[in-house]
Amino acid sequence: MSDQPALRVVDACKTYERSEHAALLPTSFEVARGEFVSLVGPSGCGKSTLLGMIAGLLAPDSGTVEALGKPVTGPGEGRAIVFQDAALFPWLSVFHNVEYGLRAHKVPKAERRERVENALGLVRLDHVADKHPYELSGGMRQRASIARALVMQPEILLMDEPFSALDAQTRTILQDELQRIWIETQPAVVFVTHNLIEAAFLSDTVHLLSSGPGRIVKTYDIDITRPRDEADPALLELRHDMLDRLRAEVDDDVERRAQAAEVSAL
Amino acid sequence: MSTTAGKDRGTAATVSRGIGTAMLALLRKSWFVIALLLLWWIVTAAGWVDPYKLPSPGDVLGTLGTLFTERALLTDLGATLLRLVEGWAIGVVAGVVLGLATGRSRFLEEGIRPVIAGLQAVPTIAFLPLAILWFGFNGTAVLAIVAFGTFKPMALATYGAMHQISPTLLMAGEALGAKGFFMQRTLIFPAIVPSLVTGLKMGWSFAWRALMAAEIVVTGAAGLGGVLELGREIGAIDVVMAVILVILVVGIVTEQLFFTRLERWVNRRWGLVGAR
Repeated sequence: MSDQPALRVVDACKTYERSEHAALLPTSFEVARGEFVSLVGPSGCGKSTLLGMIAGLLAPDSGTVEALGKPVTGPGEGRAIVFQDAALFPWLSVFHNVEYGLRAHKVPKAERRERVENALGLVRLDHVADKHPYELSGGMRQRASIARALVMQPEILLMDEPFSALDAQTRTILQDELQRIWIETQPAVVFVTHNLIEAAFLSDTVHLLSSGPGRIVKTYDIDITRPRDEADPALLELRHDMLDRLRAEVDDDVERRAQAAEVSAL
Repeated sequence: MSTTAGKDRGTAATVSRGIGTAMLALLRKSWFVIALLLLWWIVTAAGWVDPYKLPSPGDVLGTLGTLFTERALLTDLGATLLRLVEGWAIGVVAGVVLGLATGRSRFLEEGIRPVIAGLQAVPTIAFLPLAILWFGFNGTAVLAIVAFGTFKPMALATYGAMHQISPTLLMAGEALGAKGFFMQRTLIFPAIVPSLVTGLKMGWSFAWRALMAAEIVVTGAAGLGGVLELGREIGAIDVVMAVILVILVVGIVTEQLFFTRLERWVNRRWGLVGAR
């Protein structure tokens, strides 16, 4: 395999109409093959915008996004996505949901069956293959959604706040499961979350973003060996550091706004 | 949660209690109908109204029997239902296809949708003279009117449904590599099915109205509308009321046997009830 990164984002930026600040200032970063990268920050920091660009669902105003050496022009091609609300097809069984992408890619039936069964095994959902999404709990739905992405054997897995709609226990369980699955399958992952400890626990690299305008304010490399424990003091310390950094950003932001208000009042 | 519902079925006691509750529920729902029938019977039995204007319930029932045995009302009913189902089916298919097309193409949408919305404001029966001119004074003209009457709300319902598909679902499909006709067939169409069922019901009621109106005018072929018109011509109001009763029963039966079941099945299958 080449040394070429899985993803290369160069000066990608985005401004939405009728918005005071740029949603994302020109931003650059790389994701190596098999690397787990998190984008963390408060709402409005541009993390979801960034993920949308990588996914090919949003076009940057300027700058480029390259996946596996090719410029991103649309969704697909080695990139799979897991959405916050699972976004399963309600009329299909779990099995057929997971099978969907393979059908779209005209994979032969026998191979489809095998790959779906493997993916379901990986997320431990074999026993509910014939159920429909409405019969599943939120956590199971999100597992199914992860299986639907993994079955495509993506080199890049994009996850947009996949656990933020789940209760705390389910969330912790799924974080552990994701760590295990990632260790087993080793795709490059871009994981968007606003949960600092979740990001620190899962990632090789965490990009901390701030809002108004959206940008990366600090990057953390986390070289704690896996499997990790969420209660690891090193992780808690890291979380503390990130929180301080975010607080400072918010204070700066408040100050800037106050100054701007004074200027305009003069 | 939906897990507790329907668990306590099976024992004889619960069954008989179930029947009792069902009777009570039926009574609670039908008290007004019973009161209405009673009022009708009292008014006619007391001779307060001219039987020429309002025959008694018994007379209407008697006429209904005679109509079935002597005038072969079953043939008329069959002809009407066949026309209704045919016209409705043609209208549904045409409406869904056009609705899907307008929902996916800006060009088609901007050109076609306002026209259909405009036409929907015109009662379908207004087009009957045109249909008679094109297809002749026969069942085909009626069929055309029924199909047209179904087509308009169906196209609009399909179009509306397409704009209510969750954007995340579309994104998920796209990200998984769905496009073109595969996307239409496996994502867009299934996603609008619950709304389509509502459209089907609406289309059905529009079809009924258009059909009755058209049959009253085009009396050449067999059909309930023709019998209604005959009743008016010979001044037999009991015939008219008997036919209305038949139409009512057909309406209730299709609603209960077909649409309610279809709706329940779709809602369950699409996960619209229970867990949400």
